[in-house]
Amino acid sequence: MLGIASTIFWILLVAFLALAAYSVKDLSVDFGEPQFSATPDGELNLGLPLYVDNRGYYSLKEFHLSTVFSDAEGAEISRADTFVPVIPHGENITIMHNVTLNPVTLLEKGAPYLFNDNDLNVSFTAGLNFAELLPAEISANFTFPWGAPFYNFQVGDPSFETVSFTSVTVSVPVSFENHAVFDLVGGIRMELYDSTEAMLTESQTVIYVPQYSAYDDTMEFTIPVTPSSVSSLANAQSGHLDVYFDIGVIQYGPLVIPYG
Amino acid sequence: MAEQKTKRKNIVKDISFRVAKATVKAVLVYLLYFFLAPMLAPLFEMVPDLLGSLEAFVAVYIVLIILSDITAKTILQHFFNTARALFFMGYLLLSMGNGVFSTSYENFSLSINLTMFYTIAVSLSLLGLARCILQAINFMHERTEASSMDF
Repeated sequence: MLGIASTIFWILLVAFLALAAYSVKDLSVDFGEPQFSATPDGELNLGLPLYVDNRGYYSLKEFHLSTVFSDAEGAEISRADTFVPVIPHGENITIMHNVTLNPVTLLEKGAPYLFNDNDLNVSFTAGLNFAELLPAEISANFTFPWGAPFYNFQVGDPSFETVSFTSVTVSVPVSFENHAVFDLVGGIRMELYDSTEAMLTESQTVIYVPQYSAYDDTMEFTIPVTPSSVSSLANAQSGHLDVYFDIGVIQYGPLVIPYG
Repeated sequence: MAEQKTKRKNIVKDISFRVAKATVKAVLVYLLYFFLAPMLAPLFEMVPDLLGSLEAFVAVYIVLIILSDITAKTILQHFFNTARALFFMGYLLLSMGNGVFSTSYENFSLSINLTMFYTIAVSLSLLGLARCILQAINFMHERTEASSMDF
């Protein structure tokens, strides 16, 4: 009798395992194209659609998805969690995993994220309770490309032009590429210094650079010709430019660029 | 004389039957392994040591089945049955570790918590062990009873 009971239980256990294995075969999980959007607060919203088609014999319970974004130094930038209590068997559902990235956190770190493309580390964990008996978890680490908003920022040598007896115009070519996933709206302010560290003039410009596009323009400065500025202009064959960036959510500067 | 001949014939017949039974059982267990192993092929790719360990388990298990069947109707059969139950439990306990099956593929890692499954399997194995011990006790009891009847 004990033998029969034991055999029946073993058959039930093996049948359950076989069905569970067969159900896993009929379970498909697909990731859709990530969708980027910017919130009015300047935060980046990354929506990752996840399609789960559970054609197996068992419901999936306590499905959870967690992503942690961290910078190259390992500091956490963003964390997002998605929880679905039940994915019934025979159903096809779409889960939207939303990750909010605050660029300020990155851009506050300055030059590495403003001027250079970088890779963010993403730690991904997905878990579920399969058939209420087998909790399973899958985790992965991968990198997420961070595009710099002022990639390859270059400032050319200033060219001086006397337009009248009262003023001198200085032109400075500025170029960069916006590799960020957001449109760049803000301003650039520049201060022009001569070789004796005396500030000759300053200028600012408003910029609007759509995502993944290049900016190539010239900043104009006007130096009024006065007895004191004439000596400064004589020293202006070399010096440096101090560049200040303001993109609304973050201010950065000065970026000192020597010329001459 | 004729009685002795019949008795010898019966012994040969009995041993042949035991050997045949053991062979059939061993072949059935091997066939089960033979057909189930390809289904677990993806698992073997992820856990290369599993195949070797499973082969060793099946080999020892088949040997114990054969020995148990050949020594049927003796106390040795119960020893081998108990050894088989203990071996099965030992294999389960050793292979379960902390009860979490983990494997990695490229930069992905998968972990399945099999604690519940192992608990059920070990409980059933305990039931099997209990059955073997009870059968051995019953065998000894019947033997003692038979010998006391002879007196």
